[in-house]
Amino acid sequence: MTLSRRFFSQEWSALAVAILIGFASLSLLSSAFLTEYNLYVMLRSFCVVLVVAFAQMLTLAVGQLNLAIGALGGLVAIAVGGMMEKLGFPIGAAVVLGLLIGIGGGLLNGLLTVRTGINGFIITLATASVFAGINLGVTESIPFYNLPRSFVAFGVERFFAVPYLLIPPVIAALLLALFLARTAPGRYLLAVGGNPHAAELSGIPRDRIIVLAHALSGLLAAIGAILAEAQLGSAQPTIGADWLVMSFAAPIIGGAALTGGHISVAATALAVVLIVLIQNGMVLAKVDPYWVQFLLGALILAAVGLNRLRAARIEAG
Amino acid sequence: MRLAIDDIGKNFPGVVALDGVSFDVRPGEIHALMGENGAGKSTLIKIITGLYRPDRGRLLIDNQAVVFASPRDAIAAGISAVHQERNLIPRFSVGENIMIESLPIRRGLVDYDRVHAEARRFLDLIDPSIDTKAEVRRLSVAQMQIVEIAKALSLEANLLLLDEPTASITDHEAQALFAVLRRLKNEGKAIVFVSHKLEEVISVSDRVTVLRDGMVAAAGEPIAAMSRGRIVSAMIGREERVADIGARKPLAAPALEARGLATSFGHKDITFTLRRGEILGLYGLVGSGRTELARALIGDARVLAGEIRLNGAPISIANISSAVRRHRIGYISEDRKSQGLILAHPIRANVAITIWRRIAARCGLLTRRREARVAAPLAQKLDIRTPSLEQQVGKLSGGNQQKVSIAKWLAAGVDILIIDEPTVGIDVKTKIAIHELIAEITRSGVAVLLISSDMPEMITLADRILVMRDFALVGEIENERRYESMSRRIMSFIHEGVDSSSGGAQAEASHG
Repeated sequence: MTLSRRFFSQEWSALAVAILIGFASLSLLSSAFLTEYNLYVMLRSFCVVLVVAFAQMLTLAVGQLNLAIGALGGLVAIAVGGMMEKLGFPIGAAVVLGLLIGIGGGLLNGLLTVRTGINGFIITLATASVFAGINLGVTESIPFYNLPRSFVAFGVERFFAVPYLLIPPVIAALLLALFLARTAPGRYLLAVGGNPHAAELSGIPRDRIIVLAHALSGLLAAIGAILAEAQLGSAQPTIGADWLVMSFAAPIIGGAALTGGHISVAATALAVVLIVLIQNGMVLAKVDPYWVQFLLGALILAAVGLNRLRAARIEAG
Repeated sequence: MRLAIDDIGKNFPGVVALDGVSFDVRPGEIHALMGENGAGKSTLIKIITGLYRPDRGRLLIDNQAVVFASPRDAIAAGISAVHQERNLIPRFSVGENIMIESLPIRRGLVDYDRVHAEARRFLDLIDPSIDTKAEVRRLSVAQMQIVEIAKALSLEANLLLLDEPTASITDHEAQALFAVLRRLKNEGKAIVFVSHKLEEVISVSDRVTVLRDGMVAAAGEPIAAMSRGRIVSAMIGREERVADIGARKPLAAPALEARGLATSFGHKDITFTLRRGEILGLYGLVGSGRTELARALIGDARVLAGEIRLNGAPISIANISSAVRRHRIGYISEDRKSQGLILAHPIRANVAITIWRRIAARCGLLTRRREARVAAPLAQKLDIRTPSLEQQVGKLSGGNQQKVSIAKWLAAGVDILIIDEPTVGIDVKTKIAIHELIAEITRSGVAVLLISSDMPEMITLADRILVMRDFALVGEIENERRYESMSRRIMSFIHEGVDSSSGGAQAEASHG
């Protein structure tokens, strides 16, 4: 197989081409694009979206959906903010507890799903409302503004164009890729999504794997929440409210199968890059940001259509 | 390992699958499990592998009672199985599928070098030509079957259960499998072998248990003491009850014809004529392309060459919906539960669904009364046993569900009905009723294409039988309705096809 054929047989090839074209044309069209500060801004907005996309990607991997990602994220964000500001917890302790809340919320989703046998869509729709209710009940919609200075600084500081905020998502991506490609639980997760019946007959503990997927999804939602909090410099109860569409868009543009068993860390990350690039391009072109939603929808349709065409061409040889 | 099953019973809604079955398999033997479709073989295998829990009775391993809550428990107890349905992860590699139960781990990570090396070892026992790095979804049906077998072997279990392992593989590969089974037997492993192929069973197994209608018809008899005829009569039952389908005289006028048809499913040069009022049988092994041919005939595949003719005129069928509405071709799927019926809806609505547009009143409104007016006479004619037409179809027995499927197409007024495995999982009595029903509907000129892997059913019902192998028709036989001679002729067509692909000498050896 030639190098180019190999490249185009990869599911992410169309994404990579789109990113290259976008990058090249934006550099030519706008002098503000290739500046250090603009690259920093783009990378910074990349962080939260990436982990949120991963959070959804893991539930898609086992053939389920998680509608509670945003609500759980909001809950974690105000919990961490409250612990630091009101209770005076050290940053490390607050972050660890916040991550545990995320895992706990995910465990709840997973256990309810496998124990009741009710579709994860309904369970997470309900728990989303529960999480949001706790969030708003506790905070009465009032944000925490006085977060520790070093925590806020982490969300702002940078090394040339690279924000420190980028470190956790990159580590998460690498660990996740390793987990899914090379560890037994990771393979089981994809096996359960790929053919639940076969997985069960092969002695894979299906229910436990589904719970694991939800727990990891909750953990990633919590990471996203804490990153968003550092980025904003305050703990807003509204953190997570706008995650849902994005969380589905990136994995799907990255070629994930809604039926489960087929996801890609690399392609999801590239999809997030593309989304960020488009958002940035629209800002530079001074397009009303409200149109970003429209473009995201069009992008999902285009990506899914392209992937189908590509699959059909490979089938035909 | 010695496994004993003691007085096991298992019911499904409307069906008694197993009723007081006892069975045992000893170390160092190959024990054949035989029976017609629906006799309870697969249910028994699923109980032994922890997939189903029996309603009553016990499982004993080495005289210790065991309870399996899941397949995991059975695997842990040293039991592995090749199930009848495909159980592979489509996007995983061959090697990983084979090794998935016990992925080799090095420093916390899956060691793929060892995955492929180990998988190679088990795959080589049957077919060295399959690449362990290939994705399973790119394999042929036969190759997938071989991967399933290698996967079961990889557990190196003490009890190996094989449910129809040879259904879709060639003779050559089957012989390789038998060699492996004999070796495992000599190593003291216990093996349970389910097959429809009598020659295979007689040549490879030590004892045979025959199930009939969920009960034991022959219990662990030494194979040497069983003649071919005794096994068959145990399977069919002493009183060989057959449906009375009356005198058959199909009309000469062709209803549906295929001329040199090639489809995107992979069919090559399919030519046949289905006449009005005829039951044309389509026989072949699992994976030979029968169901796919049915789907191609209702517009679910691209026609690459040749043509389909309806009443003598070439037609092009755009999709399934136009097959019904424009060409009046109906299809009753093998999988009536997921593809044929809407289980949560009442009988009335299921029967009338194809003609809603025709029976809707002014303003396009449907009424229960109008649906019931169509459904009631059909339900009576087909003898659907139900307290009322409002009964949910999901709550009916398998046989009655099948009758509802047929009623639905009769209501639609189709001229051609393709019926795929009409009596799978249906008890003998209802089976006969359905056979008589199928014969009855052809009297009004409806042409039936009958797909079945149930040989007695085929020989009872069909006027002519087409034999399919590897997506091509390899034979056409006028049905004389004599079981012994007909089944031999049909099997020889299937085997001849096999011979031509795996070398004559090989096949000679396996027949002798």
